[in-house]
Amino acid sequence: MVKLRINNKFYELDLKGNETLLEILRDHLGFTGTKTACDDAECGACSVLIDGVQMLSCLILACDMEGKEITTIEGLSEGEKLHPIQEAFLEKGAVQCGFCIPGMVLSSKSLLNKNPNPSRQEIKEALDGNICRCAGYQKIFEAVELAVEKIKKNKK
Amino acid sequence: MDREFLNPVGKSVPRIDGVGLVTGQSKYAFDMKFPNMLVGKMLRSPHPHARIISIDTSKAEKLPGVKAIVTHQDTFNIKFGSNEFFFPHTVDQLPLESEKVRYIGDEIGAVAAIDEDTANQALKLIDVKYEILPAVFDPVEAMKPTSPQIHSHVRNNIALILPVNFGNSDRALKESDYVREDIFNSQSAVHACMEVHNCIGQWETFSNKITLWVSHQAPFKIREAMAKCLKMDLNDIRVIKTPTGGGFGGKLEMLPMDFAACLLSKKSGGLPVKICYSREEEFYCSRRKHPMQYKLKSGVKKDGTIMALTGEVIADGGAYCSYGPTVMAAAVMRIFMVYNIKNLRITGYRVYTNTPISGAIRGFGGVQSGFAIESHMDLLARGIGMDPVEFRLKNITGPNMVTTNKMILTSNGLKECIEKATIAAKWNEKYDKQKNIYRGIGIGIAADVMGSKMYKSHESAGAIVKIEEDCSIYLFTGAADTGQGSNTVLSQIAAQELGVNFKRIKCKSADTEITPFDTGSFASRVTFISGNAALLAARDAKKQILEVVAKEYSLNADDIDIVAEEVRNKKNNSFILSFEKAVELCYSFSYGRQVIGRGSYNPKTTPVDFRTGEGNVSGSYSFEAQIAEVQVDVDTGIVKIIKIWDAHDVGKAINPSSVESQIEGALTMGLGYTFFEDLIFKDGKLVNGNFSGYKVPRSTDIPETETILVETNDPNGPFGAKGMGEAALLPTAAAIANAIHDAVGIRLKDLPFTPDKVLKALKEKQNKN
Repeated sequence: MVKLRINNKFYELDLKGNETLLEILRDHLGFTGTKTACDDAECGACSVLIDGVQMLSCLILACDMEGKEITTIEGLSEGEKLHPIQEAFLEKGAVQCGFCIPGMVLSSKSLLNKNPNPSRQEIKEALDGNICRCAGYQKIFEAVELAVEKIKKNKK
Repeated sequence: MDREFLNPVGKSVPRIDGVGLVTGQSKYAFDMKFPNMLVGKMLRSPHPHARIISIDTSKAEKLPGVKAIVTHQDTFNIKFGSNEFFFPHTVDQLPLESEKVRYIGDEIGAVAAIDEDTANQALKLIDVKYEILPAVFDPVEAMKPTSPQIHSHVRNNIALILPVNFGNSDRALKESDYVREDIFNSQSAVHACMEVHNCIGQWETFSNKITLWVSHQAPFKIREAMAKCLKMDLNDIRVIKTPTGGGFGGKLEMLPMDFAACLLSKKSGGLPVKICYSREEEFYCSRRKHPMQYKLKSGVKKDGTIMALTGEVIADGGAYCSYGPTVMAAAVMRIFMVYNIKNLRITGYRVYTNTPISGAIRGFGGVQSGFAIESHMDLLARGIGMDPVEFRLKNITGPNMVTTNKMILTSNGLKECIEKATIAAKWNEKYDKQKNIYRGIGIGIAADVMGSKMYKSHESAGAIVKIEEDCSIYLFTGAADTGQGSNTVLSQIAAQELGVNFKRIKCKSADTEITPFDTGSFASRVTFISGNAALLAARDAKKQILEVVAKEYSLNADDIDIVAEEVRNKKNNSFILSFEKAVELCYSFSYGRQVIGRGSYNPKTTPVDFRTGEGNVSGSYSFEAQIAEVQVDVDTGIVKIIKIWDAHDVGKAINPSSVESQIEGALTMGLGYTFFEDLIFKDGKLVNGNFSGYKVPRSTDIPETETILVETNDPNGPFGAKGMGEAALLPTAAAIANAIHDAVGIRLKDLPFTPDKVLKALKEKQNKN
C-alpha cells in the first residue's frame, strides 16, 4: 500500500509500481483537471506541484511520491474561492479552450512560489514547457503579472 | 447582480465557462468515462498505396477481452465528403476503406476491447493481405499521366480544377510597364490541438439510436455524414459536443474514428466505446495543411496600378478531398477581397498524392495565398521603386464596393488598418532606412470571410432564448464553442439585445438533439452568423415581454423597451417596471405567457460560379494589415522579430479581450508557420510526429506585439460585429519575408524560414555581388 497526499487529503492505493502519477490522478482518482496532450513529456499539460514545485506527472512514478505533497489544479482554489492566479487568468481573458490552463496555472504557481516578483522574461522562461495552441501566450503573461499584484495586495 | 455586466457588448466580460476551465472542473470528452466503457483503436494501413486482398479478423476475435471488430464488411460502403453540395465528385472517402488504401494511416478497421493493451494486441492479430502498388508523393509528379492513379474517378490525380478568369490578362500584361514572375512554396502543417481527437460512441441497440460525445467544431456536420453512411435518419443520431480543446479546422468533419466508435458500440451490444487518438495519430491521421506552389506572373504600371495578375496554384491534397474545394476556393479567390484588380487569371489544381489527407486548417487556403500574393506584391512595388505601403493603398478595395468577381464589400476598414499600423510602427522612419543594422520592416494585408456557404445550400444558424419564471435566461445555440469563446460572445449579444444583465444568461450549445441547427465553427462565421441568430432570438423574446407589459399598462409595445434591466417608455424615458417584474407579469395568473424567442439567420449571398470565380461568398468581410519589424543575424541566419503590429477591422469588438486573444493566437500560429512548423514525410511516412520533432510556438518564442482594433460597424453584423478568428495569420509570413528583404536584401520564397535558408540566401546574394 502506498499513501499519497493529494490536495491535503490522504489516499491509500494498492499500486503495481509502474503507474505514473498522471495515470493514478486521472484514471484511478478522477483528478481529470490534470490533462495530457502528448506521449513524450513535451506539452506540460500534465503539470502538478510536488512540494510546491512544478513537475510533469507523466514522468513520475506514483509510488515514489509517498511523503510528498501533491497539488493538482483541483487543490488550488480554497472552497469556492479561486486562487488569485486563477482569478487573474479569468480577468485577463487568458483562457481559450482551457486544455493547457491547469498546467499553465500550476507552472505559474511554481514560479511565484520561488520568485514572487518575476520579470516578463522570467515568466516566459518558466512557462516554456507548457504549450498553449489557442491564445498566443500574451494574455497568459499578463495574467501572471496581474496575479503577482493580486497576491501582493492580499498580503497587505 | 453586478451592474458592470449590464450592457455587455463592447466589454471584456470573463468567459461564461471560465471558472470550470481554470479549476479543471470542465469535463472534456477526453475526461469522460462511462460504466463498462470499451477502448477503441483504429486499424491503419502501413502502406502508402496498396490493394486490399483480404482482411482476416478471426485470430483477433478470439483474444480474451476483445468485444468487437469492424471492417468495411460491417458498413454500406457509402462515401462521405465535405463539399457535397457544390462538388459532389469530391465525396471520395469511405468510413472504412474496402478496396484500396491510399496513405500510411488509412483506416480499414477498428477494434473495441476492455483496455488499451488488449485493443493494441488485437490490432496486431488482424491479418490484412495487401498487393502493394506504386505510390506517388509529389503533386507535380502525380499530375503526369504515367504516375500511379490513386482514384479511379479522376485522371492524372487531379481531384479538382478551380479556374478564376476576369478581364483580358494577356493584353493587360502587354500594357504593363513592369512584369515579373515568382514561384512561392509553402509547406504542410497541422492544427496540433491540445485535446487530441476523441469521442465516445454509444448505440442503443433496442431503439436503434446513436449518441456520440465528441470534441468537435461541427456536430451537425458529423450527424449528417454519420446518417448518410449508416443509412439512418438524422434524428436517430445525437451528437453532443463536449468542451473542446481546440479545433482550428481539424475537428470540422466526421472522421472514420467517429463512425467506428458507434459501429463498434453496436457490435458489442451497446457498450460505450471511446476512441482517443495518440499524439502521433493526431499528426498524421487528422487533417493537415495543403502544401501549395504558387507560380505568379503579374504586371504593373509605373504609377503602381496593378494591371494583371496571372498564375497557377498546385496543391498537395493527399489521399482524399476532405475540405479541399473550400481550401482551393480561398487559395484562388481571396485576392479579390483585398485588391481591386480588373484582369486576373489564376487556376488552382488540387492533386491527390499518397500522403495524409490535406483539409481545412485555420485560414483555409488563405495562409498559403497570403504568403505568395503579399510577397509578390512587395516585389512588384520594389520593381517600380514604390513604397510597398503606398503601392497597397493605391490598389486595395474599399467600403461599399462590388469587386471584380461580384463580391459585395459593405464595411471595409482596410485603408484605416494600413494607415493605423504604419503610424504605430513608424513605417516612414524605418522602411529602407535600417539596412546598416540589418533591421527591416515589412507589411502584409489580408481579408477574411464570415462563412462561405460551401458545404450546404444554406449557411444558417438558429437560436432560442428561453426566459424562466425566476428570470434566468437560457440561450440555446447550435454554434460550437471550441475554445474561441463563442458561448460568451453569443450570450453578450443576447443580453445586450434583451436589455438584461449578462450574468442572467446560461448558454447551452451544440447538442444536435436540443439546440437549433448550426453549420459549425469555421470560416470565422460564428460571431456574425450565429450572433445574428442569437440577436434575433433575443429580440423575439423581448417583444413577447413588451407585448404583455403594453397590454397591462395600455401602452403601445413599439413605444417601450428594456434597457439595463428596466422597462422604460422610449418617448419620455419614464420608468415603467423592472425586467424582473415584467417577467413576473408574463407568468402571472392573468397572462401565463411563456417567453420563448426564436431566431434564424442565413446571410444574403450569391452562389459562386466555380467555372469563373464569380459570386458573393459571404455576408460580410473583415480586413487587416500586419507589419513586422525584424533583425537578421547574418552570422547565424536567425531572424529576430523586434515587434509585430496588427490592425484588424473587426466591425465591432463584442468582447475586446476575446478579440485580442483571437488575433494574438492566430498571429502566433502564423509565426510558427513562418519559422518552424513543417510536417515532414519520407516516402509517405511522417518523420516528425511529436512535439519534439514538430516545433510549435512556445512562450519564449513570442515577440512583442501590438493589436489595433478598427471598428467599422458592419451594417449586417450583430451590433456591427464581424468574424475575425483567422485573418491575423494570413499575412504574417509575407510581412516577415518582406521585412527580411528590407533588412538584408534577400528574398525568401520557400516556407518555413529556417536559419539555413536565410544563410543560403545571404551567401547567394554575396556571390552575385
